[in-house]
Amino acid sequence: MSTDDESFHPLGQEWEGELENMLDDTEYDTDLGMQMAQDAMRVTKGELSEAEFHEMYHDDVMEEFGEDQRPTQEAFEAAQEEAKGTVSRMLSAFDGDGEESRRDVMKKMGVGAATVGMGAFGSTIDGKPSLAGEGEGHGGSHSQAEQNEDLQWGMTIDLERCDGCLSCMEACASENDLDQGVNWMYVMAFEDELTSGGSPAPDNIVGGTSDHNMLVRPCQHCTDAPCEKVCPTTARHTRDKDGLVLTDYDVCIGCRYCQVACPYGVNYFQWDEPDVAHEDINGHDGAEVDDPEEITHAEYENGTERWVDSRSPRGTMSKCTMCPSMQDGRQGEERVGTTACERACPPDAIQFGNVKDERSDASQHGEHPSKSRAIIEISGDVPDPETIDAQLSEGDDLEAVLGNEELDLNAEVVSIMKAVQIVSEEEGLEPGDEENNTILEGQVTIVESVTALEEYVDLESEAALTELQLGDGEASDANARLREFAGNPSSKFKLLEDIGTHPNITYIGQEPGPEAEQVEGPSEYSDISYERSDGSEVDLVDKRQEILDEGTVGDVGWSL
Amino acid sequence: MVAVSTKLPTEEDILRPINTLTKKYFILYGIAALALLAFLVGWAYQLQKGLIVTGLGDWGSGGGSTWGLYIGAFIWWVGVAHGGIILSAAVRLLGMDRYMPIARLAEMTTIGGLSAAGFYILVHMGRPDRMVTSVLGHYHITVNNSPLVWDVTVITAYFVLSATYLGLTLRYDVSRLRDDLPDMFEPVYKLMTIGYTEKEDEVIDRMVWWLAAAVIIMAPLLLHGGVIPWLFALLPAMPAWSGGIQGPMFLSIALMSAISGVMIISYAFRRAYDWEHIITDDIFRGLLLWLGFFTLLFLWFQLQSVLNGVFMGPLASQHAAEAKMAHPAYQVAMTLMFGTLVFIFLQGIRPALFSKKRALLASGIILTGTLTEKILFVVEGFLHPTFDIYAATPGTYFPSLIEWLSLAGTAGLVALLFLNLSKLVPVVELHAVEHMRGEHGHDEDDEHATEPEVKA
Repeated sequence: MSTDDESFHPLGQEWEGELENMLDDTEYDTDLGMQMAQDAMRVTKGELSEAEFHEMYHDDVMEEFGEDQRPTQEAFEAAQEEAKGTVSRMLSAFDGDGEESRRDVMKKMGVGAATVGMGAFGSTIDGKPSLAGEGEGHGGSHSQAEQNEDLQWGMTIDLERCDGCLSCMEACASENDLDQGVNWMYVMAFEDELTSGGSPAPDNIVGGTSDHNMLVRPCQHCTDAPCEKVCPTTARHTRDKDGLVLTDYDVCIGCRYCQVACPYGVNYFQWDEPDVAHEDINGHDGAEVDDPEEITHAEYENGTERWVDSRSPRGTMSKCTMCPSMQDGRQGEERVGTTACERACPPDAIQFGNVKDERSDASQHGEHPSKSRAIIEISGDVPDPETIDAQLSEGDDLEAVLGNEELDLNAEVVSIMKAVQIVSEEEGLEPGDEENNTILEGQVTIVESVTALEEYVDLESEAALTELQLGDGEASDANARLREFAGNPSSKFKLLEDIGTHPNITYIGQEPGPEAEQVEGPSEYSDISYERSDGSEVDLVDKRQEILDEGTVGDVGWSL
Repeated sequence: MVAVSTKLPTEEDILRPINTLTKKYFILYGIAALALLAFLVGWAYQLQKGLIVTGLGDWGSGGGSTWGLYIGAFIWWVGVAHGGIILSAAVRLLGMDRYMPIARLAEMTTIGGLSAAGFYILVHMGRPDRMVTSVLGHYHITVNNSPLVWDVTVITAYFVLSATYLGLTLRYDVSRLRDDLPDMFEPVYKLMTIGYTEKEDEVIDRMVWWLAAAVIIMAPLLLHGGVIPWLFALLPAMPAWSGGIQGPMFLSIALMSAISGVMIISYAFRRAYDWEHIITDDIFRGLLLWLGFFTLLFLWFQLQSVLNGVFMGPLASQHAAEAKMAHPAYQVAMTLMFGTLVFIFLQGIRPALFSKKRALLASGIILTGTLTEKILFVVEGFLHPTFDIYAATPGTYFPSLIEWLSLAGTAGLVALLFLNLSKLVPVVELHAVEHMRGEHGHDEDDEHATEPEVKA
């Protein structure tokens, strides 16, 4: 069929051209790719041996991709040697036929090699340099395999700091113009037979409540999200560039299978027309936008936009989005790497960030909760280096520092400042400037101030270390001091980790057991009201069913 | 009261529904149409207002049930449909000649059941208008993961399979009975028998055999023993649904429902058209025994699943199983079905206890029982999830008026299908009549032909 054009490919010139274009779109060498593909075809025709083919391109492949996982001649020969014992013995049993079979085997191997060769280009087109065997291997689906390996938004939530004020619920509902009872963010107090009371952080830390165990429940933005897996339309999807699990409101058919499959119960269906009309959606904090699409749409890798943010239209599913319009920078650079709930949380119990980056707030708070808490806690009390320079003079001692009214420092704050400095030297991490890595930024500020202090005062003398309760001034002493100050969290966990969803929310504090049950919390839901874009102000509602029942035709008040 | 029928069935017998038009027919037609219309009005209202008109809600903090009667009835109708086609396939494949007269009724039940189920998919959706663009448009991706897409695939496949099956076997009948069929539908008959020659009978016979074989083989794998239960059983954190037992359980329910449904429909046709000699008492006795057999299996599976939860199950399964057992609707449904099983067993030992009215009653009870179980099954998942921390869980759910009406509407839809089809084509196969008379229109062994098989 395609013999009269000059293509090496059996499907012809047009197909070859298409392949070439695909290669052109990658960062890899198109000519090398086409040349290899052509020779791979020769292997299938038997004009070239598989080993020759591998040998021919080994150096080029190494140069282009940095690795060559195709079997080289040495590997091939080694394998032959190994197989000789069994294969040749088996083949010799066939006598004359043996040679024939061997040739067949070689031919088949050639075809196999060609397949591997083409497969390699397939994966470079997907933007990945390696040839095979890439991937973490937790059974991810196609979309997960293509995901950005460097960015995954997520949270660390410090339940021991949550005091149940519901500010996050209020901020979320307001930001997204949610109907009453649509609690994308839901905060609940719970009791568990296993624990008697709350497990708050120590008293000197803001937040926490000794009467309750708290659970803060946004969407878990699972890496292996069951909701996405079951969706019959791909409306529920993971955004490749940052791992957010979102719902395309233009595609969703409202079958509600995602809500059925989600183990956490984070989905809320739009059973009727949403309270806030689409044209009234105007953003946060009264910041008027002309076009609601500016904050309801999010950007995708391929340059397209999809309607995934803010309250959903009638007949579709909604849930916590982790504010993609903020992550896309549409609400200003200062909001990238933050969410409405995180910004609203008074005790900073919610730490949002890139969980794949150890510098992010989420990672820092998850990995070093005591230090992170301490930084959050003392940040407001730390004088800046200029003030220190202005207030202190050569020869001042610790007494003088603590006695200085302008600096307003006490021994505890200095002790923690010094402890943070010791620990941070150990880690040696810089905050970077792409996201809001506030914890490391706070750490830098503290370290700068400590350095300024040490221009005047020796904080590493034995006497100073003793006064600051820092032992020998080692990292372990500093860590112990931080734990003593900010508490050592009872546990770190992810919700229902054993069912394989790989959630991207990490919790610090008391994990609810299987018998845990929600109880009345420190704040009443109905005491909190939130304002929406259209100017309406309504109260938070806990049990949405009470509202939904009003719309039921022939509601008799019974229940199955 | 052993009914002995010596009368041999004739072509006129099976043509009677087509060539008569009675007042009762019109009354029945009116009722069925009214039921469907009433629901269509309800559905229109739902489309206008949104799904808020149902009793459904969000499980979780909201305290509702995500799915309810619509999905329960959907899987129930799919069960009826799948059971129907299995019944018909078994008749052909396993040579259960005794049931030949009702094979076509079973096939039509399948078409009816699938229509009702397909309708429920639309009714259940928040945005039915996007069915084509969103579902078909992404089919090549979603078919790899979503059990709901598998479901739609299988339902479509079975609709095609059953319609082909029915269409092929009708060619034989229509071409032979053409002269006695009303001229009004001439174009339809022409279309149905396009290109027909007697030579194809043998080929069609073989095709139908293979179709039947496919149905029987795929039943446990893809029909109610597979894809439909997987919709629930594969989910990770709803213990009321999980477990490999759901496959056999669903299959047994499908067969129970289908046998009951076919019995009721057969009863109606026999009564309306004096078919004592075609749909004999013998058929009802046999169907009742099969119903008993599958009811026994069903109750056994229920025992398995409940016992697995209550006897030191993991906490979540334990709660789910205990709650299921304690539910009054569950207890009523199980008692009814167990009672029916006892009756079937007793009438098996003591034939005098059998009557067609009782068989009809047993069918009605089983259908009610399976429907109740299905709806309850769907709702139970949301009432007792693994993540059972919410104060609002277990939530509340009671079907709204419109949801209840959907049952009447879909029943009306299926009834209308039968009422219409019975005026168009024979609902009893010509083959069955020939067989009962001891004739064989084609390719049967001669030795069979010499032995009259009419049971007296």
